[in-house]
Amino acid sequence: MTWRIALQLVLSGLSVGSIYAIVALALAIPFKASRVLNFAQGELVTLGAYIGLVLTSYGLPYAAMVPATLLVAAAFGILIERLFIRPIVDAPEFTLVIATFAIGIIIRALVRIHWQDNTFFLPAPYSGPALPVGPLRVNPSYLVIIGSTTLLVALLVLFFRQTRYGKAMRAVAFNQTAARLMGIGVGRVFGSAWALAAAIGALAGLLLAPVIGINPELGHLMLKALVAAVIGGFGSLGGAAFGGLLLGVLETYAGALFGAAFKEIIPFGILIAFLLVRPQGLWGPTQARV
Amino acid sequence: MSGSSKLFLAFVACVALAMSPAVAEQGVTADSIAIGSFGPITGPAAYIGLAGRDGAALAIKEINAAGGINGRKINMIFEDDGHSPAKALAAVKKLIDEDKVFMVFNVAGSNGTVGTIDYVKEKGIVMFVSFASAPAVTWPFARNLFRGGTTEVPRYGELYAEYIVDGLNAKKIGIIGGREEYPKNEGDALTKQLQKWYEIAPVKRVEFNIGDKDFTPQLLEMQQVSPDVIAFFGNPAEAAIALRQAKELGLNQPFFVGTTMVDQGLLTAAGAAAEGVTGFALIPLLPSSSDPAMKAWRAKWNAEYPNLPPNRPNIFDVLGYADMYVVAEAMRNAGKDLTTDRFIDALENLHDYRVGAIASPRTFTKIHHIGNLRLQPMQVKNGEWAQVPWESKRPSDILARYH
Repeated sequence: MTWRIALQLVLSGLSVGSIYAIVALALAIPFKASRVLNFAQGELVTLGAYIGLVLTSYGLPYAAMVPATLLVAAAFGILIERLFIRPIVDAPEFTLVIATFAIGIIIRALVRIHWQDNTFFLPAPYSGPALPVGPLRVNPSYLVIIGSTTLLVALLVLFFRQTRYGKAMRAVAFNQTAARLMGIGVGRVFGSAWALAAAIGALAGLLLAPVIGINPELGHLMLKALVAAVIGGFGSLGGAAFGGLLLGVLETYAGALFGAAFKEIIPFGILIAFLLVRPQGLWGPTQARV
Repeated sequence: MSGSSKLFLAFVACVALAMSPAVAEQGVTADSIAIGSFGPITGPAAYIGLAGRDGAALAIKEINAAGGINGRKINMIFEDDGHSPAKALAAVKKLIDEDKVFMVFNVAGSNGTVGTIDYVKEKGIVMFVSFASAPAVTWPFARNLFRGGTTEVPRYGELYAEYIVDGLNAKKIGIIGGREEYPKNEGDALTKQLQKWYEIAPVKRVEFNIGDKDFTPQLLEMQQVSPDVIAFFGNPAEAAIALRQAKELGLNQPFFVGTTMVDQGLLTAAGAAAEGVTGFALIPLLPSSSDPAMKAWRAKWNAEYPNLPPNRPNIFDVLGYADMYVVAEAMRNAGKDLTTDRFIDALENLHDYRVGAIASPRTFTKIHHIGNLRLQPMQVKNGEWAQVPWESKRPSDILARYH
């Protein structure tokens, strides 16, 4: 393997891993706030792409469509939390997981009723042929994906560390009762966490759409994102993002070195290894449970 | 009852029987014919089944509006097979045993189709396979199995081998193919024919899983052996990603793709990366063609399905539509007393029938049930599929067995 190929593989792995990272972040946020592992997150990715498709069909330019999509997706997130999650938020974790599973299946079925399994395309202004960068050929869509992930992580870190609302969300994640006694609206924090997760999921959908098209299975990468979140640690946003990138690179190299079949084996092998040896992940708090 | 009364009753019964329409055949009533249909309408191969279903439904709507088949309206019952042989078998069992259909109109891929063949043979019901190329549909010969738009995949192998070696002057051929039935069959057929006619073995053959989104490992393996041509067998969405990634990895070899990818869907998804790709088309005019006949048909289709994506209608819409007309024509020719035997006889007597210039002619005989034996070489030029002026010169071993 030449250096050029090795670098190209890193780039390819980081691109795939960036999507895992975004979805892993979206998984980690409601988990941090309410201990709910959202198995509908993949479908929120899908939903985001379809929202973008609908808004584009009404003639919204790309620059306006993206923020509008994130807002509509956030509203969906709040709706899901208020209608389905909050009423059962004190139920056992297993019940909540099953509920999110059901929500995901319902979203996918509703999407299928209207659009069926046709593949739609959402062209982005940055789409185009690969660009030569030194010895490498870089797909501009991948550059946007990697850049968006980096920016998103930075913004989330700032939000949780520097803003009052971010600190309130961290307080709720740390101890709901104490947060409530301090006057923090715990319910509102839950809603915000779901809004944020849905908007981030939608962002992943919008980034994926120009690369692989839109269909009801677009959010199928949910399990890989879960692996990424486990690697990084569910309690750590930076960890979840790092886990996604690492998983993308490992998966790509495994395929290149050992054949395509190993691409499927490696992520879940890593998941089992982490669950056995370091269940809290690389940066997660030791009490984290998955 | 007196003897004369008995005689009178017997006479009345005979007259009534003679005057009544034949309604004993499963799925056929005085005013309707039930046709069962199945194909993948969910999952990564949904572009096949959705299109086949919609094309057939459009044809049925037109046929029924024009009065139906000898006074009977066609009623289609559709089942999703999810591109799985097991689900396809369950779908066919339901259609035949529970829905009691007269015949099965198959718009599945080869993967689903192979799961159903033994059962359909056993039941004796006609299954008309619009586009699955799995050889088992028509070889070994079964009286109740027909194929419409596609030839058997070994014929693909002959054409692919001849075109790649003689047409593209390639000696080193790499193959990237999916693990499921259809792409695997295409890869096998090409490999076998390269060996048989040219004593060439592929320099590398690698596989992928249906729905894969990253082809870096397979492309790197190709890069190591530097083939003259890379043959890719799978679905358009997969091919589009592979074509883009090939350019990123610096692979500039020409790509040859299987028949399902010679369509607008590949161009929409791959964009500029599809330039120069070659392959064989299953129909004389692709849905994106500006030929007046296709433009008129596309306008009709768009009026019926106004909200579908720009990669529809695809070739499977056309095949489903054209083959439903083939089935309807044979049913009409079978006469008012529609039975499976008469229907098979009518199909076997169809000669160069086609609904219009959008379809290739269908001919069936008593020794072969392959409606279309022709494929057209195509190449992407300036972002459009264009016909390549190339004709096969080698005598076909596959076609020879049907003469």
